[in-house]
Amino acid sequence: MSEETSQAVQEPVVQEPPTARASKEPREARALGLAIAGWFLPGLGHALQRMWGRALIVFGGVGLLVISGVAMRGNIFVSRGTDAFDTLGYLADLGTGSFYFVARGMEHSGADVSHANGDFGTRFLATAGVLNLLAALHAYEAARGRKA
Amino acid sequence: MNGMHPLMLTHFQAFLLFAAVISVAFGFLGRRQPKDRVKYILWSFFLFLLVGVGIGWAMYPFSR
Repeated sequence: MSEETSQAVQEPVVQEPPTARASKEPREARALGLAIAGWFLPGLGHALQRMWGRALIVFGGVGLLVISGVAMRGNIFVSRGTDAFDTLGYLADLGTGSFYFVARGMEHSGADVSHANGDFGTRFLATAGVLNLLAALHAYEAARGRKA
Repeated sequence: MNGMHPLMLTHFQAFLLFAAVISVAFGFLGRRQPKDRVKYILWSFFLFLLVGVGIGWAMYPFSR
């Protein structure tokens, strides 16, 4: 097939008008900023969009899980993990944003996963991180104008 | 933890706490209307209980 023929078969590219593209970019940047804000401080991404109920629930839910996780002496993973599970745990914990450092600050006796309670605490902390990432993604989608 | 007793929960209490927090968060993030949220939260919480207790019983024969 010659080059001319292959070009003729290609679907026509629909280009957006420059004004539409220009108005979309700041909106995308704002959505990304809100997602990062929501990740850093749970609920902030929603609060900045005046979604007060969601902001409160995300802040309270993530906070409760983090505090419970630490109080149950769950394991807060650090960046110097020895295997893939440690790294995954660290990434999940880091999902809580600034609450990760709050949790590190609250932890004085270290983790105790020799009992089921400590193991539950580890799961609570990881769940808090994943829940916060989900909320940040939700804030991002809401800021982009998707139905949320 | 300094000045703070460790939180001691039974398996079931930890399970209930987990299910309640996640159900409420899902309800608020997934639904917009208050009535829909309540329905979603209750349904999600019920399914957490059902699946959790179901898996618990399914593992029971192998637990000893």
